[in-house]
Amino acid sequence: MKITLRNVAVGFGPVQALRGVDLDLEPGRVTVLVGPNGAGKSTLMGVLLGLVRADRGTVEVDGASGSALPASARVHLGYLPEAVGFADNVSGRQVTRFFALARGLPRAEAEAALERVGLAAAGGRLVSGYSRGMRQRLGLGIATMGAPRLLVLDEPTGGLDQEGLGALWRLLGQARDRGCTILVTTHDLALIERRADQVVILRQGRVCARGTPRSLREQSALPLRVHVTMDGEAGRSRLADRLAPAGLPAERQGEDLVVRTPPQGLPAVMAALEGLHGQVRHLRVEEPGLDQVYEHLLAAPDGAPAGGGAP
Amino acid sequence: MTGWRVASALALHELVERARDRWVLMASGLFVLLSLGVSLYGRAAQDAQAAVTAPSVVTLSAFLVPLVALILGHDAVVGERERNTLGLLLSLPVRRFQVVLAKFVGRALALSFATVLGLAASALTLEPAHRATIAVLVGPTLLLGLSFLSLGVGLSCLVRRRVTAATLAVVTWFLLVFVYDLGLLLALVLTDGAIGQDTVAWLVLANPAGLYRAGLLLRLVGADQLAELGLTVAMPGAGLRAAIWAAWTILPLLLGTLHLSTRKAVHG
Repeated sequence: MKITLRNVAVGFGPVQALRGVDLDLEPGRVTVLVGPNGAGKSTLMGVLLGLVRADRGTVEVDGASGSALPASARVHLGYLPEAVGFADNVSGRQVTRFFALARGLPRAEAEAALERVGLAAAGGRLVSGYSRGMRQRLGLGIATMGAPRLLVLDEPTGGLDQEGLGALWRLLGQARDRGCTILVTTHDLALIERRADQVVILRQGRVCARGTPRSLREQSALPLRVHVTMDGEAGRSRLADRLAPAGLPAERQGEDLVVRTPPQGLPAVMAALEGLHGQVRHLRVEEPGLDQVYEHLLAAPDGAPAGGGAP
Repeated sequence: MTGWRVASALALHELVERARDRWVLMASGLFVLLSLGVSLYGRAAQDAQAAVTAPSVVTLSAFLVPLVALILGHDAVVGERERNTLGLLLSLPVRRFQVVLAKFVGRALALSFATVLGLAASALTLEPAHRATIAVLVGPTLLLGLSFLSLGVGLSCLVRRRVTAATLAVVTWFLLVFVYDLGLLLALVLTDGAIGQDTVAWLVLANPAGLYRAGLLLRLVGADQLAELGLTVAMPGAGLRAAIWAAWTILPLLLGTLHLSTRKAVHG
């Protein structure tokens, strides 16, 4: 299912939650929406699902334009709301049976949903006895019922333990492999690192950056850290002396020299190592963490290029 | 077609949920116990068992059934909102009015079951010859329950928190079941009878609790006996009575659905 949101704007009284956002969702790709609280992530999802009425903008599904997903597309939708609860006085199995019945799926799919998220043994227990993570897993099982063609997950990692996270990675992978269009909001950078094909960073209702995790690192132009472990003080001193004229100051950390350089400065570091190879025991290039990239791109002023991190 | 399939599944799920709701079970149990108590007391009247029991059951039902109905209905939609499942429900291929209607139907089935159980408990306590009189109460008592259930479900569409819905439900019960008649009486006294008796009678009948009580007491006790007690109420025709019940059952649901449909954001 190919989905395109164009120029979506939503205001709640004086608060402008979305200010003309464009978003393209492709089959077989995981798009992750990130941004601080109040950036408009859930509102954008709400517009797509028809839970929030946009002031302007369109939602195009496989070429057909409208204001939200039409009912015909919602038949193929799996949705996990943020911190989903479910009624306390029914069992997990009764909840999955209801959703199977509502979606016209066979009863076996209710059981399969519990098994997918490791809740088969706890399926007979009342939801009141479930932990937050178990409720989240139940929601994930429901969202993936009937192999949906569109999967929308709002903060899916919330409350999940290692087993639950394992189930989430596996289900996301399976959904992507069968060509499902996937939209996820999260504050969890591990999810982005492991699963995102496209990351869209929202700030104050606007897209401030978008791309793959790799291209976002490039956009940020944050410095790399080159760790060089060398034998002998003489070699370290020679290397530091060679780097200084290139404007690449080296910092000593025990047996290591650590050089901070923009990506384009990497050849200069390599050139400085010429003739010293015999003394280099270990060389490691460390990319900036996604958390640093995210914070840097968020902090960049509107309209300014995101790059420019000083070495 | 898909929307109605979702709505049917939701109505069934609602029924299952209500059957396990401890507040509903407690309130229904209380209704059954009190009905039994009233009937056991009425049994002592020998030949007049039904004549003594039925009006007492009507009075009991007029107080308790609206309360049970409002308890049942108050969290129908706002409960889903608080659990973050309203968006999940509305993301299914179903329209908002179908969700509200399904919530109402599922809860109406649970309420009807509890109501019939209470009245059956009362009837079975009496001698077989007197049971038919209690059977007369079933229809109006169900209508009374449905109208207050509709009020509860309608309220649950309007508010954002369950505690607000619960407070409004109790206030609605208190106003319509207790204060309404007293207020009319007070108005009559304060205006020294300037408000016509007919106007007061119509105002009594415009309230579902009043329509229920007046209609059944007229039928069970008779107009002459009520007149001796100073109560003169002329019942409207069957068509108008049906219209009043229909209005109380449909309008709150309609207003609730309208509010939900026109809301800018329905989740969170």
